[in-house]
Amino acid sequence: MNHLAQLQADFQAYLLDDAQGTSFIEAVVDDKKVGAKKRLSIYHNAYRLRIIEALATAYPKLNALLGDVLFDNIAREYISAYPSTYRNLRWYGNQMREHLLTTLPQHPIAAEMADFEWTLSLAFDAEDVPELTLQDLATIPPENWADLSFTFQPAIKIVRTRWNTIPIWQALEADETPTKPAQESTYQSWLIWRKKFNSQFRLVTEMEVIALNMAMAGATFGEVCESLECEMDEEEAMTTAAQYLATWLQEGMISAVKQK
Amino acid sequence: MKKQSNIDLPYLGFGLGLRTEHYHPIIETKPKVDWFEVLSENYMVPGGKPLHFLDKVRADYPVVMHGVSLSIGSTTPFDQAYLRDLKKLADRIQPAWISDHLCWTGVHGQNMHDLLPLPYTEETAKHVAERVKIVQDYLGRQILLENVSSYASYVDSTMSEWEFISLIAEKADCLLLLDVNNIYVSSYNHNFDAKTFIDGVPAKRVQQIHLAGHQNNGDYIIDTHDAPVIDPVWDLYEYTIAKLGAVSTMIERDDNMPELDVLVEELEIARKIAQKVHAPNITPVEPISMRVAGHA
Ligand SMILES: [Fe+2]
Repeated sequence: MNHLAQLQADFQAYLLDDAQGTSFIEAVVDDKKVGAKKRLSIYHNAYRLRIIEALATAYPKLNALLGDVLFDNIAREYISAYPSTYRNLRWYGNQMREHLLTTLPQHPIAAEMADFEWTLSLAFDAEDVPELTLQDLATIPPENWADLSFTFQPAIKIVRTRWNTIPIWQALEADETPTKPAQESTYQSWLIWRKKFNSQFRLVTEMEVIALNMAMAGATFGEVCESLECEMDEEEAMTTAAQYLATWLQEGMISAVKQK
Repeated sequence: MKKQSNIDLPYLGFGLGLRTEHYHPIIETKPKVDWFEVLSENYMVPGGKPLHFLDKVRADYPVVMHGVSLSIGSTTPFDQAYLRDLKKLADRIQPAWISDHLCWTGVHGQNMHDLLPLPYTEETAKHVAERVKIVQDYLGRQILLENVSSYASYVDSTMSEWEFISLIAEKADCLLLLDVNNIYVSSYNHNFDAKTFIDGVPAKRVQQIHLAGHQNNGDYIIDTHDAPVIDPVWDLYEYTIAKLGAVSTMIERDDNMPELDVLVEELEIARKIAQKVHAPNITPVEPISMRVAGHA
């Protein structure tokens, strides 16, 4: 298989621009009508255009934020830095955040936008799980609630932003002119999940983030209440935890309940 | 896998590629389409909308699976996770059959996301046939290989594309997906007679036909799937089914996507041509064994 293997290695190196002075073009039939050089360039161009299009599909708001020219440059650099190992181009953009942190450090909002868009897209085809409702919990007597722990849907992710990334995303989504990029006074956390088949997101407080992370790691309802007691009295902690739980259930984020 | 022809596979009639833009109209209006072809990779995902809609469409229509990343001609090992997920999807949706392209898409774990041509040699045919057997054994069924549009050919090639395809099909005992548009495109790009191609493939192994539009750049054609099928391709389709008998046929459209009705109407052209060629004995449930007997 040496011959075919060499041909494929050479062709791939040509497509990836890794071919330093190789004579791969000699493997291709030349002709007067089109010519070997142009024939190969069809593949060379198609490789890049196809990937740029896939990245633009995965990152429409990043594209709008950067403009077509800068986005095209970023995409071409990305193609050189990260050759695809994916069966489907849908997954190819997963290192865009890291790529932007190094290539556009002067515009940190770009990496944040990429992070948010990518995480939202992951929720889109995350695993389907059942949705637990408040009624499912109604049969459990209140005195047992402290021992309950929960399984959450796999789509749940938290994205942190320091810039007005999400307001800009929302303006672009609504076809409105977004405000200028600006730094917020503090970090903000955005919860991403899926309700039925639709990706959702909302702003969350740091306290809810702590409670959610604990609950997702398997802590019981009682343990979540206890942790909130660092911030408030016992009764208030209980009420707050109960409110969180009701919200998570309502939002379809919980798939199962377990009693210790 | 024991030697067999495609007598077990049904004749499905006239189909379309399933595209996200058409999920709702398909489910809500149940258009006059006999079957749908789905792009396997788009549904090899954990869950969510894609699989939800696929299940819904599958409840109303026969479905076939069409892949782009098998890389049957590659010289580096198969992606085992790919094969596993392909089989898992097939178990879920029970397709009438599974196809991919006679090409390679990358080596050493990388994917160029393109259907790259192979040199037409004995050595390559032997290599590809061995790999087809591995896939068929793994999936427990025959697969279909599709001829691709190509823009370059290799000085190494010792035979024609149709001889190459036929050789692999015989060696591996696999089936063929004849893309009539790709034949047209490649015949234009490489200066051969498209009808010679069609005459040269084993008729009994052709299980499916693709039709599509393309972009003519003057000295070469790019296979873009963004426009209606052109008349010379319809003529070639007529020639093909006159030669091969009734073959399950579909139109591929991937870009510049029209409303579903437009494609359903375009599919009527294929039905009319088939009617003209084979009238009046076409029914979408006629098993393929009948047509093989009639046109062997
Ligand atoms: Fe095709």
